[in-house]
Amino acid sequence: MDYDLGEQAEGLRLRLRRLIEEHLPEGFLGAFTDDPEDLAITQRFCKLLATEGLLAKAWPAEYGGGGGSVWEQTVVREEMWAHHEPRGPQYMGINWVGPAIMRFGTPEQQALHLPAIAAGDVIWCQGFSEPDAGSDLASLATRATPDPAGGWRITGQKVWTSYALMAQWCILAARTAVKGAKHEGITMFLVPMESQGITVRPIPNLLGPHHLNELFLDEVSVGPDDVLGQVDHGWTVIREALKFERIGIARYARCDRLLVLLRDALGGRWAELPEALRARWTRARVHARAAMVLAYRVVDAQAKGIVDDADASVARVAATLCDQEVAEVLLEALAAQAVDDGQTRHPVLHGAVEDHWRYAQAATVASGTIEIQRMLVARAALAGEAR
Amino acid sequence: MNLELPDVASDFGAAAERAFTDAGGVDLARRAEERPVTRSEVVAPLLRSLGALDLQVADDLDTALAGGELCRVAGRCALPYPVTAVLESGGGDRPPAAIIDPLLPRADHGDLFPRWRLAAIDGRAWDGRPEGPPLGTELGPFVVDMATTVRPDQGDTVDVPMLVTLAAWQTLGTLERALELAVEHVNTRQQFGGPLARFQAVQFQIADATVAVQSLRELAHFTLWRLWAAPLDRLVDALALRAHALESARDVLRTCHQLHGALGFCDEHDLSILSRHAQPPLRLWAGLEATTEQLMAAIDHTGFDSLFGAGATARAARDG
Repeated sequence: MDYDLGEQAEGLRLRLRRLIEEHLPEGFLGAFTDDPEDLAITQRFCKLLATEGLLAKAWPAEYGGGGGSVWEQTVVREEMWAHHEPRGPQYMGINWVGPAIMRFGTPEQQALHLPAIAAGDVIWCQGFSEPDAGSDLASLATRATPDPAGGWRITGQKVWTSYALMAQWCILAARTAVKGAKHEGITMFLVPMESQGITVRPIPNLLGPHHLNELFLDEVSVGPDDVLGQVDHGWTVIREALKFERIGIARYARCDRLLVLLRDALGGRWAELPEALRARWTRARVHARAAMVLAYRVVDAQAKGIVDDADASVARVAATLCDQEVAEVLLEALAAQAVDDGQTRHPVLHGAVEDHWRYAQAATVASGTIEIQRMLVARAALAGEAR
Repeated sequence: MNLELPDVASDFGAAAERAFTDAGGVDLARRAEERPVTRSEVVAPLLRSLGALDLQVADDLDTALAGGELCRVAGRCALPYPVTAVLESGGGDRPPAAIIDPLLPRADHGDLFPRWRLAAIDGRAWDGRPEGPPLGTELGPFVVDMATTVRPDQGDTVDVPMLVTLAAWQTLGTLERALELAVEHVNTRQQFGGPLARFQAVQFQIADATVAVQSLRELAHFTLWRLWAAPLDRLVDALALRAHALESARDVLRTCHQLHGALGFCDEHDLSILSRHAQPPLRLWAGLEATTEQLMAAIDHTGFDSLFGAGATARAARDG
């Protein structure tokens, strides 16, 4: 038994930290702000990572990747998330849109999309959730009907759709058949965001700009070659994609970084915090460690090709609860300064805690709510299949 | 990276579990409550036949993992024996070891040995001997008050982090088994015309307990590895595991009791025995809050190794 990630992975960690230190401005809090320069920073950083062969580090070389191990991929995920995701919206393309295209795409789709993702040239958004289809995603009602001229016409409404105003492409789920079970008859489409008939409306929200949008599709025309996987079998793609997405974000890494940084930032004030709060900080450090080793168990299974839905959900429940616990502990430690964001005078850690707390509210909702994760875990446990 | 238990450890654990089950499983604890000599007459020979009393957990990680597995399967049946105490000592003539609260020195199964090596969490050490028979209470059936004498020298020190870590493995076993019993119960117990398991409120409790048990298991594995990989951080890592174990035990045992209803309080049901016998390792010398306080002090002293925090071992390596 050995939890050492190995020299190669640890070397990669140091290299990433150096790049972050050299190329990101102090106090960088991610691309999702009202300042277009923040998005530009992530665009430049993605190109830099791509040039260094790090953006698609864990992708197979045939798809423009670096052929790295899953542990190197883990290090990339940890370092990126811990440092407020300097890949911006592009993390999604790398983490799961690309892998889904590798798995289900035609050679032409792979040739079109994968090199662009690996080169840091393209932003994807995801059109899954709808006003009446959140956790019950299979109830989605956006319709794709065959176009007599060939291809499909898509009409409906998506919601959440982070980065829709930044994206060039959308991986979109639409209903192509209404008979049979509701998860049958769904098809995945790869839709250019510049298509006629697409309207994006940003929704002002607690998480911050760009996180929530409405996406309206009015007779949007897509070609027959823009179907990902088989027609009417999109649910298989979604399940696979969500599996990638569930372990995609290393939330424990940012938790750990902020817990460490805040204590240092508070200096002498740390000792004056209520002891109960310092105790909560202490336990949160343990929880972040536990969430990390749970995630490693899933990554290990992934490396062996045996990822189990329930194991991934266990890791996700632990990581998302840790995220919210840390958010509360840190915000409480800041007391009156909790309401400072990066724009106020002298915010602690440039507003990173306030930013974390806001985004943590979505931790147990995004990518499958914690209720869905609990159902998956319980189902496995009650069937005697949980580890 | 290799997250698999070595065969030597999993095989040893499996053999021990078979032996404990064949000898009666949780019934051994029931019998020991009736006849305390069951511990020396039945359980000790059983452990001896497995080679458990000669296991040198201090020698190497693989042997320590075998020891961890032994503690885990002992926890699964509330084995009435101070397994962690004898594992730490490595057998032979060396007295077993326990951690005590110096203000009220007590040891689980303290009456089984005439001499003990006792230590406080801060490393202060004493020679100990049992003072009287076990308390025989519901929550401390074999807890014994100990008399302490200050050691003339600190020669034979107690490996406190090892004891703390092995005790968490034992708790892990108890929680695993308690959850299995709860799953079995909600799958079979019929109320309102169906199994309890069909209620989502029940399913979610099972899910949360499953997360807690898996989380503790992964941290237990990780921590035992750390005892070798980060020798300067042993105490802080062990305390972190203990805090997690205590927190998990509080939540998982509570859930399992709730889901069992009144049946779980009855000693004829294994849950009651598991829950009662799990208490001494959870309570003696420090509960959750006191452990957290000790962990806080240890972090102040040593640091806490993580992706962004450096423990003493990592700092020493960095500074050459």
